[in-house]
Amino acid sequence: MTGPLTALLAEVAAGTPTVAEMARNTGLSTDVLRAGLDHLVRTGRLQATNLPIGCPPSGCGGCGAAGGCGVAEGGNSLVTLSLTRR
Amino acid sequence: MSLIERANGSLPLAPSAKACCHPDTGRPTAPDDPVVALVGAPNTGKSTLFNALTGAGVTMGNWPGTTVEVSRGLWRSNGTEVACDCETCTCSEADGRLDITLIDLPGTYSLDPHSPDEALTRELLVGKPAAERPDLSVVTCDAARLTSCLYLVAQLREQDLPMVVALTMSDVAAKRGVHIDTEALARELGCPVVEIDPRRRGGLVALADLVRDRLGRPAPAPRAALTDDDDLALEDDRFAWIAHVVDVATGAAVQNARTWSDRVDRWVTAPVVGPLIFLAVMWVVFQVTTSVASPLQDLLDGLFSGPVSQGATALLSFLGLGDSWVQGLVVDGLIAGVGMLLTFVPLMALMFALLAILEDSGYLARAAVVTDRLMRSIGLPGRAFLPLIVGYGCNVPAISGTRILPNARQRILTALLVPFTSCTARLTVFVMMGAIFFGPYAGTAVFAMYVTSILIIILVGLGLRSTLWRNEPIDPLVIDLPAYQVPTLRLTSSVTWLRLKGFLQTAGGIIVVTVAAVWLLQSVPAKPGLAFAEVPVSDSVYGVVSASIAPVFAPAGFGSWESASTLLVGFVAKEAVISSWAQTYAVDEPDDNATPGDLGAAVYQTFTESSGGHPIPAALAFMVFLMAYTPCVATLAAQWREIGPRWTLFGVGVQLVVAWTLAVAVFQVGRLFL
Repeated sequence: MTGPLTALLAEVAAGTPTVAEMARNTGLSTDVLRAGLDHLVRTGRLQATNLPIGCPPSGCGGCGAAGGCGVAEGGNSLVTLSLTRR
Repeated sequence: MSLIERANGSLPLAPSAKACCHPDTGRPTAPDDPVVALVGAPNTGKSTLFNALTGAGVTMGNWPGTTVEVSRGLWRSNGTEVACDCETCTCSEADGRLDITLIDLPGTYSLDPHSPDEALTRELLVGKPAAERPDLSVVTCDAARLTSCLYLVAQLREQDLPMVVALTMSDVAAKRGVHIDTEALARELGCPVVEIDPRRRGGLVALADLVRDRLGRPAPAPRAALTDDDDLALEDDRFAWIAHVVDVATGAAVQNARTWSDRVDRWVTAPVVGPLIFLAVMWVVFQVTTSVASPLQDLLDGLFSGPVSQGATALLSFLGLGDSWVQGLVVDGLIAGVGMLLTFVPLMALMFALLAILEDSGYLARAAVVTDRLMRSIGLPGRAFLPLIVGYGCNVPAISGTRILPNARQRILTALLVPFTSCTARLTVFVMMGAIFFGPYAGTAVFAMYVTSILIIILVGLGLRSTLWRNEPIDPLVIDLPAYQVPTLRLTSSVTWLRLKGFLQTAGGIIVVTVAAVWLLQSVPAKPGLAFAEVPVSDSVYGVVSASIAPVFAPAGFGSWESASTLLVGFVAKEAVISSWAQTYAVDEPDDNATPGDLGAAVYQTFTESSGGHPIPAALAFMVFLMAYTPCVATLAAQWREIGPRWTLFGVGVQLVVAWTLAVAVFQVGRLFL
């Protein structure tokens, strides 16, 4: 039987982009999936990188673009997860 | 040194105070006091509970031999029959009072340490012999994040440890629709559970009763853990147990209850329907933008080409500069060029406002899911979608934005694709062309250009992935979608203004410089016998150079020097395309009293002539070429900086080949039908 974490890793590897879709595919609750994602990141099986999105307060001209095109302050951030080899 | 000895002997103690049943006793802890450890994940109310139980009688210091700060205090536990001799209450000191040494251990999510703090927690709870461990552990769990907190509980339950679970933040959980059955939770966890609210001192007596009851009693039988050397299998087993516990304690129906937002997302992010909805939404955006802004554009156009130009001409004549090169520069150059850009302000404002509404509502996060899936399906890196989306605003920050990609080759690939995203500067040209050639279908024509842009990115991306970028790893993207919300006027107007200001600042500077340069080139005669600033544009340096490259575009139906010249200017900046067009026709037809429709009529006439009577396919071909060819010098400079000269020049070559090939194909096929 596949455990929640294994199922979650498979979903990430398959490119399922949202927690809600993972919940539909696995039958697990979104709470368990979110906790599982956090756990996998903490244990190093996934590497999470926040993607800033949106324009900076100063507009395009003021964008240092060091981490993408500005940061939407206080907004929901998108996160890329990389599977790491262990 | 035992835990208790360490706890009691190594940390500095607060001065003694009067004995009292209330928490702020300050009495030093005694070696024979039982030791209770507060354990839990960060932000579960552990320290709030510690403060509530110990009051001011707290000592803080590094745990001996470590740099980890640990709080220790006296918890004077009286249980339900409270009695003491303090001045603030009427009770008398009771024999049943129990003094407990309370230790606030560093927050941790698990017993698998990733920091010195967590290592200490593990060491004290399970690393020591049983006699040196705390007599009891109180594990705080946030009811609103129950699942996240239970991994630590799962690990502790595998040990022979006396413990109780203190459930905090039940009110927050209730607001989210999560109601926890504490009896069921206790049954499934195999240890007592008590609901507390340390901020309001709720449930503390019940906790004290529970702790007093459990102290000295044997620990509950440990949960049978999986015997496996594989870490993931062990963790999986714990999570399966957690999922079961949470299901029973909260009701699976609650956990899996779908909000209306989830139901909408099921369609909006679906693999097939999602992209169709995305395209429909964008079509509505362009249609609304062009149709609503069109009357305002006409109004502004009439203002600049009428009263403003006439007023400037009259003023210059009054100053004795009428019919001079100054009038040519000011009226036919600056006013015609800058005025043309300003007519697009309502359109850009509306466009930015609509996009801000989509962003604020939460829809753009769904669009990111759709885009990401599309890109993954063609083998592009998931993260690349962000710079590409940014590119639809401006290519320059999008090129810089490729730095978010960890892999150098992914950065190069994405930087090569960014110029194919149709930036807002190109939007102005599309809107103008749409209005001239497609009338009420202008919005659809503009929308078609964006769809074409996406298709080009897919095709070029596929081409590069199958040749130079084979076997590149793909990072998955996981998005926890925010709930939909009603957009706020404040945020929408703020974002709209910031973006509009940025566009005008950038475009304004470029336009003024480019208009002056174009005017100069249009004023310098390329043939002998003509005076400066008194030369027909076709005989100027500008016209002759443009005419020399115009034949290249003949197979695409726009091989006139007027069209070719705008593409030359567009190489500098796409913002300047329409201003240079306006300059060209204004200078070329100085006797024609300008009216709002004149420029459009002149452009239509030019395309009709250059295409042999097929202006519509020629206009489409021109728009496709404009979208796909080299974006602007600023983007090239950004590419040069990010990926170096070799790849930048390679990119320019690819862009020109793709643009020309597509333009020719569009015209040659289109003229068979239109």
